[in-house]
Amino acid sequence: MTSRLNKQLKIAPYIYISPYFILFFVFSLYPILYSIYISFTDWNGSGEKTFIGFENYVQLFGDKNFWLSLWNSSIIFLMYVPLMLFLGLIFASMLNSNWMVGKGFFRMALFVPNFVSVVAVSFVFVLLLNTQNGLFNSVLRNIGLIDNPIPWLESPWWARISVSIMVLYRWLGYNMLLLMTGLQNISKDLYEAAYVDGATKIKSFFFITIPLVKKMLLFCTVLSTIGTFSLFTEPFILTQGGPLNSTLTPVLMLYTESFQNFNFGYASSIAVCFFILMMTISLIQMRVFDDKE
Amino acid sequence: MRKKSIAYLLIACLMISLLATACSGNKNNNSSAAGQGKGDEKVKLVVWTWETAKDGLDLNMEAFQAKYPNIEVEFQNMKSTDLYSKYLITSNTEDAVPDIITVESTNLAQIVQIDSLLDITDKVAPYKDKMSPYKWEDATKDGKTYAMPWDSGPVVMFYRNDLFAQAGLPTDPVEVSQKIQTWEDYYEAAKLVKEKTGAFMYGDSKTNSSNRVFESMMWQRGLWYFDDQGKVAVDSPEIQEIADYLIKMQQENLVYDARANTDQWGNGIRDGQVATVVGGSWHDAIIENQYSPADSGKWSVAMMPKWSKDDKYSGANQGGSNLAINKNSKHPEEAWQFIEFMLGSEENQVKMMSDAGLFPAMMIDNNPAIDEPSTYFNNQAIRKVYADSLANTYPLAYTSDFPMANKLMTDVWAKVFLNNSSLEQALKEMADELRSKTKRE
Repeated sequence: MTSRLNKQLKIAPYIYISPYFILFFVFSLYPILYSIYISFTDWNGSGEKTFIGFENYVQLFGDKNFWLSLWNSSIIFLMYVPLMLFLGLIFASMLNSNWMVGKGFFRMALFVPNFVSVVAVSFVFVLLLNTQNGLFNSVLRNIGLIDNPIPWLESPWWARISVSIMVLYRWLGYNMLLLMTGLQNISKDLYEAAYVDGATKIKSFFFITIPLVKKMLLFCTVLSTIGTFSLFTEPFILTQGGPLNSTLTPVLMLYTESFQNFNFGYASSIAVCFFILMMTISLIQMRVFDDKE
Repeated sequence: MRKKSIAYLLIACLMISLLATACSGNKNNNSSAAGQGKGDEKVKLVVWTWETAKDGLDLNMEAFQAKYPNIEVEFQNMKSTDLYSKYLITSNTEDAVPDIITVESTNLAQIVQIDSLLDITDKVAPYKDKMSPYKWEDATKDGKTYAMPWDSGPVVMFYRNDLFAQAGLPTDPVEVSQKIQTWEDYYEAAKLVKEKTGAFMYGDSKTNSSNRVFESMMWQRGLWYFDDQGKVAVDSPEIQEIADYLIKMQQENLVYDARANTDQWGNGIRDGQVATVVGGSWHDAIIENQYSPADSGKWSVAMMPKWSKDDKYSGANQGGSNLAINKNSKHPEEAWQFIEFMLGSEENQVKMMSDAGLFPAMMIDNNPAIDEPSTYFNNQAIRKVYADSLANTYPLAYTSDFPMANKLMTDVWAKVFLNNSSLEQALKEMADELRSKTKRE
């Protein structure tokens, strides 16, 4: 009797968690393993696969566009992530403070861009960033900041800036919410103690708030890193990866190789390298930020 | 107690089988639908297409239904690029739906390469001589034909009478064709237009070009990204000559800077900043309905300029579509009946031309509908010009690596205008990349 019960107790948890794992095996693990297999073949997406060993990888490491796509993502990352986390933290502190009015409204206003369809947002940005008669250039020209229109989507650097602006717009609210949950976990006692000791609001922001939301900042950074390298819709609609591949990201390149050039073997090798790279970067980031409390 | 552990096992089995059926559900449905197809019961065809193409087919649907009451047709509209990637997945899973797909000629050879279309060589045999010859090449692989030509985009020159008049150029189509015979004449006219009216000669982006004008200029001379043996030819001196010409147009500021067929480009047309559109015949509907509806009577149509007066061919093609049958379709016969009805009959093709602006790939030079005047275009018989252009089009194919070549070409212009690279160098780099990526010579 007891042994049967023990057996059941042993099996039961696995059955309870099995739905997730079955779904995971069917929809995640199997496709991942399959794409690793495809990455060693030459395949046009239909018909015969020819096994070609590491040829795709050799070609990939010699492909300047692949390195360029990583470089582009790094630049875009540097352009918006520090700014986004900084602004996110400031807005989060403001919305978390006692003196702020209309908290609900601002929280909503900052968060709305995140769940509006990214395709719709991208098309609106295409209109706003239009060189000849877009709103951005019209406004800048009318207030006298610029004489010649800015080629938002036509020059490599401006195109990267445009993509960064759009990503910032979409993800600021989301990161702010994450940081806010971090802030709410900080005990009020600390601020009161600091106040008693004569610390100003700004000082307590830098010496209490920032150190204590470090974990959350790390989490946001890791998410943003993965997010930046897998950017797709924004550059796809704004610039199609151009001009001169300056906004090409690894995932956009993967899409181009697979669904436009029908080069699925090569595209899979991009996916595999991308996966390894993302895992490594995430591990490094976690190691760097981990101070073994 | 044992019963219970068996029950757990059963639950686990159930979940797995549920998943398995969820994955294969599609197939089961199809095979049962196929069973119904036999006999006199209704057969349902699923056609993947896009809005403008469906508008054409709709014109003939009533007649089709009258002739084939047992065939029911369901249209599913999507963007052409989505259609190709979705179809790729379909062919991978050997799905029987859709039965028929619409494919642009630009992407046809690529789709034929994935071996998922039905071989219709015998069925199209009676139509071999009735269609423009250039259409067949992209539909053919190893001597077998996989698609039926639908419409063509014979390239012509749309031009603004009022801007031409202000610039002191003729406005009558015949006189314009006389005055602007070669691309050199076109360049001289562009300078006049710019000087007298401030308008640009045509619209094309420096950094994000769609290469359509460039490709038309290559096509009319029988040149292409690849030569007739399939070798990469984009770094040949003749092609460089054409590219040099277009760069000259850009550098002398005679071109409105916007990618063709974008809203920005359309705004240029609407605002009267663009004097000509050298492009496929389907631009008539775009100019008339989309960008410039208020300018009735201001546009006319002439043949596009040639490179040299002695060139044998003067026309080129831009775009155009085809219909093809899914290899795994359960109703290939009915699918062919649909295609033959829509595209094999002159009457139905003419209807799509007159009312939906789809200029047929079928040669219909003697049909009276060709001579009908168009109110918007100054009562000119514009389709006569299209037919002339089509009759003079060089028999050239897009080839399967066209989408890739087109994208790489965009970067050639960007390198020249953004990085000040030399054209020769940029074309050489593109040719090398194309060679390594397509494994061509």
